[in-house]
Amino acid sequence: MTLASRAMTATSAPGLAVPGIDDRRASFSANTALLGMAIFMASWAMLFASLFFSYGLMRVGATAWPPVDLPRLPLGLPAIATALLGLSSFLLQRGLAAARAGDRRRELIGTAGAAALGTVFLVLQLSVWRALWFAGLTPGTGTYASVFYALTAFHAVHVVVGVIALLVVAARVAMTRGTSTGSTAAMGLRLWSLYWHMVGVIWGVMFTLVYLL
Amino acid sequence: MPQPETHWGLPRNVSVDGWRIDWLMDITSVFVTMMFAATTLWILYSCIRHGRRHAAEYDAGNGKLQVGKALALSALIFGVVDGNLLISGLIDLDEGFWNFDKANAATNVVRIEVNAHQWAWDARYAGPDGKFNTQDDVVTLNDIRVPVDAPVIVQLAATDVIHSFSLPNLRVKQDAVPGMVNRMWFSAKETGEFDIACAQHCGPSHYKMRGQLTVLSPNEYARWSAEASALSARAFDAGDKTAHWGWDWDRKNK
Amino acid sequence: MTTSIELQPIHPAPTSFWRKYVFSTDHKVIAKQFLWSGLLFLLFGGLLAMLIRWQWAYPGAKVPVVGGALFAHSSGAIGPAAYNAIFTMHGLIMIFFAITPIMIGAFGNLTIPLMIGARDMAFPKLNMLSFWTFVVALGLIASSFLVQLGSAGAGWTTYPPLSTRVGTPGAGQTMVVAAIFFTGAATIMGAINYVATVIRLRAPGMTYMRMPLTVWGLWLTSILNILFVPVLGAAAILLFLDRVFGTQFFIAGAASVRGGGDPILFQHLFWIFGHPEVYILILPAWGFVTDLLSFFARKPAYWYRGSVIAMCAITGLSAIVYGHHMFTTGMNPMLGKAFMVLTLIISAPAELLFLNWLHTIWKGSIRLPTPMLFTLGVVFVFAIGGLTGIYLATISTDLYLHDTMFVVGHFHFTMAAASFLASFAAIYYWFPKMFGRCLYEGLGKAHFWLSLVFITLVFMGQMAVGYAGQPRRLWDPQAYTFLQHLGGLNRWTSYFGFALGLSQLLFMVNFFANVFGKKNAVANPWQVGTLEWTVPSPPPHHNFDVIPTVVRGPHEFNHPEVRRLLGRDWLGQTEEMPVPTPTSELETIELPRAPVKA
Repeated sequence: MTLASRAMTATSAPGLAVPGIDDRRASFSANTALLGMAIFMASWAMLFASLFFSYGLMRVGATAWPPVDLPRLPLGLPAIATALLGLSSFLLQRGLAAARAGDRRRELIGTAGAAALGTVFLVLQLSVWRALWFAGLTPGTGTYASVFYALTAFHAVHVVVGVIALLVVAARVAMTRGTSTGSTAAMGLRLWSLYWHMVGVIWGVMFTLVYLL
Repeated sequence: MPQPETHWGLPRNVSVDGWRIDWLMDITSVFVTMMFAATTLWILYSCIRHGRRHAAEYDAGNGKLQVGKALALSALIFGVVDGNLLISGLIDLDEGFWNFDKANAATNVVRIEVNAHQWAWDARYAGPDGKFNTQDDVVTLNDIRVPVDAPVIVQLAATDVIHSFSLPNLRVKQDAVPGMVNRMWFSAKETGEFDIACAQHCGPSHYKMRGQLTVLSPNEYARWSAEASALSARAFDAGDKTAHWGWDWDRKNK
Repeated sequence: MTTSIELQPIHPAPTSFWRKYVFSTDHKVIAKQFLWSGLLFLLFGGLLAMLIRWQWAYPGAKVPVVGGALFAHSSGAIGPAAYNAIFTMHGLIMIFFAITPIMIGAFGNLTIPLMIGARDMAFPKLNMLSFWTFVVALGLIASSFLVQLGSAGAGWTTYPPLSTRVGTPGAGQTMVVAAIFFTGAATIMGAINYVATVIRLRAPGMTYMRMPLTVWGLWLTSILNILFVPVLGAAAILLFLDRVFGTQFFIAGAASVRGGGDPILFQHLFWIFGHPEVYILILPAWGFVTDLLSFFARKPAYWYRGSVIAMCAITGLSAIVYGHHMFTTGMNPMLGKAFMVLTLIISAPAELLFLNWLHTIWKGSIRLPTPMLFTLGVVFVFAIGGLTGIYLATISTDLYLHDTMFVVGHFHFTMAAASFLASFAAIYYWFPKMFGRCLYEGLGKAHFWLSLVFITLVFMGQMAVGYAGQPRRLWDPQAYTFLQHLGGLNRWTSYFGFALGLSQLLFMVNFFANVFGKKNAVANPWQVGTLEWTVPSPPPHHNFDVIPTVVRGPHEFNHPEVRRLLGRDWLGQTEEMPVPTPTSELETIELPRAPVKA
């Protein structure tokens, strides 16, 4: 047992006092968190891939797509919504750059701005659903409507989560004293910006499949 | 009534192609038994002879020779067992169960449409005009009659949930899926009565979804067919929409 | 890349009761939480199995003792609808709420940080969230039995249209679909943690090729979970929408009505997940087995690298063979044949792994304490389960066997028998580390022998009736003429099933007699060299006072120099090879038959 226990006998208290260790630990943890986010995104990409696969199978099996007797999907509002989502990603990225440079005000503008644009996206989405619903496109009318509502609604849930998260991050940024680099708020911003970009990319694919093609 | 089986093991085979499955099952069993026996003996021998009193050999099994042997052995087992099964299986499908050209080429081929629903089998024969979904169709419930030694092609659909049309004595089975037309074929080599079973869970009365397959001699089949056609023409009711569940024989599906 | 020593985060030990035992972020506590809930639902699922076996032995007869209370509306007998709910929930509970939490939730959490030399998981809070999301799913499952029309009844595979409102009305099925989504989310959270922990928090020197195979198995399982549980999630979402919001993904009309929903879409999604799921449940077991065979044969694992390669190959292949579950759905013949080829190919790496196991115990010095008995039991039942798979991989024999009890027997040998015995091997093996006490050897051995004999007989019985053509899921197995001679066989299989159920009482006695007792286990009762045995049993909150530095693989047994110089037959992963000194001399080694007591 002597050799096996050798490793344990070195110190009594856990942790070693090394200069600058806190910063290195923080950056190590940050990289671990980014890796976790990347793994999560791979997982969630599979979920949306499955939904797109379902869309494909529904569409291949349909006799007419879109069905002749149902209202057409609009293109104008969704296109604007798409542009807004792209813009919000851009804003967020600027906010992130500002955070790195230590510019708190522009970091806050980027984060809160992205959340605001996300909210506008949701409002537009709601109005599109409302108009289509009252024009007669309800989920019970067949696979076309089923695919449309399921995909866009499931994506919208992700936008809602993202908006809430960005608002929380913005609040944290606002409350952090001094420079926010290396703080929990800065970490949160990096992770949620990845999430937000992913929501945007998925929307791009969805917009193409559901509205354009 | 179908006759009960007398002993365990596969039920009586009355299919012209059934021997393929029975033979392959036997071959698989031989392989499986051999490998299982070898494994068990190996474990027992090791536990008895290489127990506590046996000095363990220091061997991490990563020498070139050992790796080669392990690879060669698993490749050998894979080649012999899986190779055999793969080839036999593919031959069975191409020459038997999935060879619809062979079935269609026969002059005495019988075509039947089967519609599964909770919890019964509707069967439809084209009748004298040779066309499905017309006035002279012969429609039966849980009662399918076919001639002996003739290929029978069944096109399958379902109206509510998924069912599976299974003929244990003929060794074949095919799912009946709503919105799809599936197909299968078989050829019986003996006359008699056999069970039609539903193999896919389809609700509370799944266990009662039982039909009967009657294999008749060609003469008897011709007589029944003529009688049934005459009866069905008289019984036809244009207003009874639910009775018209048939479809045009799916040509691209043959 | 392995972590340098000082970067591993340390979390202070919690002091309040809630933080310590309920909302704990400590991987060891979460492991226990998963173990407790998994064992509870194993009991639940097992009792459901007893009801199924009763029904198959005496179809429609009054259930003794509990019948009057449970099935009051059908005068104490199991009615067809209740029977559907029972077999459906038996399957779902065993797979998602018993095997998964025990093998992956409990032993994944316990072993991964301890075996790679980490102080906790990479994301302890996510770990806690994973468990409590799982609890939400458990709540939904349990309450689904209480609502009107009862719990889900469409089979564990939940095929629509039977699982839509058309086939199975009532809130029970909807709640179960939601529960599947929640437990899937919990699984993904856990898997993200496991993958990140293994990548980031390995101790210095713990390279991938020095990781215990237990960790390899759990890591590969987690990768499969991350990639394929979301596919099940998508299927569950679409089914939920069909049931609640009236969408029409899976609702199709008659043959003449084309262009409706597609029931087969669900089967694609389900089996894209479902086939990897089979390996998700067996890869950790393979890991345990490969390690434990070496530990108790006191011999290095045979061709460690080959086992790793085989497990990776199987992980990869498992993603592209799912179509063999759908041979009879009317799939394109070319596609069917391709899936048959791929399915047969997956047996090649499996054979390699199996041969490695057999070579590991060959010419060893085998000890047979309870964990080793269970491990050898896994090899035995997995041989049956794996070999009977090839009947089903070949399309022509599958045409006859598909959806029969033969399939049921086959997957019970792999998923139930092998995973179940492997779970018990893990429980008996890691119990000292987890709870600080050893389980009784005598009771454990009796539990093993009874379990092995009866589990083999039960599932052999199922395969025998399946060989005779008995379809699965029949309320009355003698409903068809060609099955009437199987009454005796079904009854005897049930008797074996009841005996299997009763044998588990031995485990319950053993477990409860020791789980709360005084902690008296030594640090390393089995005399093996992996990292978790270098710390006390149970380990302190932060696991390692100092993160160890690893210098070798996990299976260093009976090295001649170590025997000669240290007088023992194993060397720890952190230990340098001893340097000869003039005084050392040859010693004989006598290891205890039972785990070493303090």
